[in-house]
Amino acid sequence: MSDRIFGAFGVFLALGYAYAALQIEESFLSDAVGPKAFPLIIATIFGLSSAVIFLRPDAEPHWPAFGRLAELAAAVVVMVLYAELLPVAGFVIATAFAAAYLSWRLGSAPIGAALTGVGTSVGIYVVFHLALGLSLARGPLGF
Amino acid sequence: MELLSSLGDGFAVALTWQNLGLALLGCFLGTIMGALPGLGPSNGVAILIPLAFSLGLGATPALILLTSVYYGAMYGGRISSILLNIPGDEPAMMTCLDGYPMAQKGMAGEALAISGIASFVGSFLATWGLILLAPQLVKIALLFGPAEYFALFALAFMTLGGVSSTNQAKSAFAAALGLGLAMIGVDTQTGVPRFTFGEVHLYDGLDFLVAIVGLFALSEVFIFLEERHGAADAAGRKLTVGRLTPPAAMVKECTPTMLRSSFLGFLAGVLPGAGASLGSFISYSMEKRLVDRKGTFGKGDPRGVAAPEAGNNAAAGGALVPMLALGVPGSGTTAVLLAVLLSLNITPGPLLFANNPDVVWGLIAALFIANFMLLAMNIPMVGIFTRVLMIPPRILMPVVAMVSFVGIYGISGSSFDLLVMIGFGIMGWGLRKFDVPLVPIILGTLLGNAMENNLRRAITIDNGNWFTLIDSPLSIALWAIAILGFLLPVFVGRMVKMRMRQRGDAEGSVID
Amino acid sequence: MAFKAIRTALAVVGFGLVGTMAAAQENPECIAPANPGGGWDFTCRQVGKSLQDLGMIDKTMQVVNLAGGGGGVAYAEVVNKRNDSNDLIVAASSATATRLAQGAYPGNTMDQVRWVASVGADYGMIAVAANSPINTLPELLDMIKNDPASVSVAGGSAVGGWDHLKVLIAANAYGIDDVRTVKYVAFDGGGEAVTQLLAGSVQAFTGDISEAKGFVDSGDIKVIAVLAPERLEGEFNKFPTAKEQGVDALGANWRGFYAPKGMSDDAYNMWVEKIGKLYASPEWKETMAANGMAPLDLQGAAFEAFVAESVAQIQSISKEIGIIK
Repeated sequence: MSDRIFGAFGVFLALGYAYAALQIEESFLSDAVGPKAFPLIIATIFGLSSAVIFLRPDAEPHWPAFGRLAELAAAVVVMVLYAELLPVAGFVIATAFAAAYLSWRLGSAPIGAALTGVGTSVGIYVVFHLALGLSLARGPLGF
Repeated sequence: MELLSSLGDGFAVALTWQNLGLALLGCFLGTIMGALPGLGPSNGVAILIPLAFSLGLGATPALILLTSVYYGAMYGGRISSILLNIPGDEPAMMTCLDGYPMAQKGMAGEALAISGIASFVGSFLATWGLILLAPQLVKIALLFGPAEYFALFALAFMTLGGVSSTNQAKSAFAAALGLGLAMIGVDTQTGVPRFTFGEVHLYDGLDFLVAIVGLFALSEVFIFLEERHGAADAAGRKLTVGRLTPPAAMVKECTPTMLRSSFLGFLAGVLPGAGASLGSFISYSMEKRLVDRKGTFGKGDPRGVAAPEAGNNAAAGGALVPMLALGVPGSGTTAVLLAVLLSLNITPGPLLFANNPDVVWGLIAALFIANFMLLAMNIPMVGIFTRVLMIPPRILMPVVAMVSFVGIYGISGSSFDLLVMIGFGIMGWGLRKFDVPLVPIILGTLLGNAMENNLRRAITIDNGNWFTLIDSPLSIALWAIAILGFLLPVFVGRMVKMRMRQRGDAEGSVID
Repeated sequence: MAFKAIRTALAVVGFGLVGTMAAAQENPECIAPANPGGGWDFTCRQVGKSLQDLGMIDKTMQVVNLAGGGGGVAYAEVVNKRNDSNDLIVAASSATATRLAQGAYPGNTMDQVRWVASVGADYGMIAVAANSPINTLPELLDMIKNDPASVSVAGGSAVGGWDHLKVLIAANAYGIDDVRTVKYVAFDGGGEAVTQLLAGSVQAFTGDISEAKGFVDSGDIKVIAVLAPERLEGEFNKFPTAKEQGVDALGANWRGFYAPKGMSDDAYNMWVEKIGKLYASPEWKETMAANGMAPLDLQGAAFEAFVAESVAQIQSISKEIGIIK
């Protein structure tokens, strides 16, 4: 059943993609093929393969229980917050919190998680910023 | 014998304590950067250029340092592929297919060792190829016009089926998805934005590094989060890493594979625009078709590790041919190296070998030295690398996630890229559930633009005539191989099935 | 195009190395609007490193990569968020001006920042394969005029990009009315375009003089026109300009810096003076000569006027060919 839904979704996605391709505004200056042709070819392959998945589904995959999905959603939220807050809070602080959270959710005790977070953050800072010279987000404290 | 004396001169240039030290440093840093997801060879070399300049290095020492980083990163990429199922850089993606299953079978040590040897063989042969054949090989590169490149890319996609999944439709789905994502951004042929929805961050298109790190590394983190059944489980998991040196039988079994893959990978490297990823991909799919009689590829076959590693390292050497002899970078890394050459007032091109023999031969000698160093470094260090597997996931996975974020953010400085990466992570997790292979997605995002552009260039040049695609013997040959590669598995699969039915072979379960 | 940018920018490295002035910028920062390894990145990274090595700045020049939108993301960041920073400069080039002119940075215009100074230019040229029957620019343009389909021109930038515009400027100056008929094929960088010229896939090449130096030296390609006001110096002296062949076309790919609009006048003048002095040093002249780069000695107001003029020129030709409305 999952594959059927997946295949149907793929067909719709292909249609949407083809529609978006047709919306591409052509400039006056176009080559012989134009910017739409190749995306339309891709949309065709995409749609056909989705249709085949729909018609010949594989065995049902193992889906996690609702609790696990909530766990994943929470992790995604933390990561998005991390991405958004990184330039504000600075690299070391943001990374320590994000790493500690992940470590905690993966089964560390709270103290172990905090240590993992700080260790990861400082370790990465040393290797990437101090040794390799990449510019990482600088927070209010200068790191 | 003029060749040997030139090479001797090269070694005289390269074999100073300073240069050896630089080569060692470069190999070490390169291996680390290759292994870290997000930092690949091209960024690794770019990051170290300031170091080379601030040390005040001359042309040859600077090149020795940077090419050591380049070769080191090509070696290093395999480590995280094998141990974590996360390719350290894009050419190492094929190594995941058999490397990670080997590690799961308790053969991580063997996998690392055999891939190290394969890497060595690939780059060693490629360096000889560079010495002996560079001028002739340039002519091959000139045979490839836009139509031929398009045929080559079509070949890669048509032979994709069955390489990375048992379900052909899902392979095709993944390839189309990758190609579709590659279309995002400003169209280089006409300058109109496509699929950007007015978002300025998307004008440059999606960076395939963002895609690869999200799809592989973050989705791995999600899988661990999903499957956590308490700390007891992680502790109870008995880990074996296997032998730290490969058995002689395994080396023997892999030798023909390494030789064939080195040759193919080298050729792919010589073509500007094909590059190391295509080299490892073609090597793997060719080997699978040639020697995979029992269907062990993809389930931890040592040859499936040796083939892509020999292929991508050979391609790395091959990519130096067009860079030196034509001044055309065949990959992102060689583009950076080329810029370095130019900044040192060395003009690559047809006259480079005549005008700057000391630089060329010094560089070639350095390649040999770096290669031996990497072999000497990588084989004994297999034991250290495998320790990574001893780290419990509750510590390892946060580190993987954060390194992925930093690798992307440190390079682009963009929160937007991080959000895209998280999106790819979620997508990767979902697609893994549906058993959709991830490799074709990456191949699609990597090659999509080049494929489309060459199609459009070919047809524009011939004023809208689509038959120009099959207008040269070379493109016809490439199309023939592509069609053969596409149809062969279908027929062979059917024949195998029939034979099994005749024999009444109950245990041979053929996967459709 | 990206590769060409790297090359020019690396030449800029020399300029960082010869700096001699001492001035204290508090937290000097250079934004490279691209990933590491690109041309803008090299400009920032090397200048920063050298400035510190020479003791001209006390703190390390922080190089921040802010990729996206062909420089548009960085431009928006400077305008919206960093408008009053005194310590900030941003790497720029003709590509920046082209995108500004074509409105490719949505909502941003060139007068939202202060233009600091240039560090050199790379003149455009048009070349054909050595065995081509074409020997002069008018011959090539005649062929295009008579049968546009017969000549494919290859270049390293996208359609509407600088390499493309150069050939259109020449065609326009020669009296080809509908320049849209000129068949331009975009490749990934000048090197790839030259290779296809050698392979015989295309008939002509448009790019910068420095891109094709190796092939000119080896005699594989012949330069039929340089788009400079007068003949270049040194070994490039032997190539005729378009102007002397009766085609009044100019095309220079410059490289320089801009700074936030709200920067104090003192800070602005300091940056201007610094880069001006570096430009004047003999070492920098040497680097430019070796790379086929031509002088473009513009600072402060003069540079600002120059950028404005080139934006206006690109705008008018882009309108003419229909890239923008």
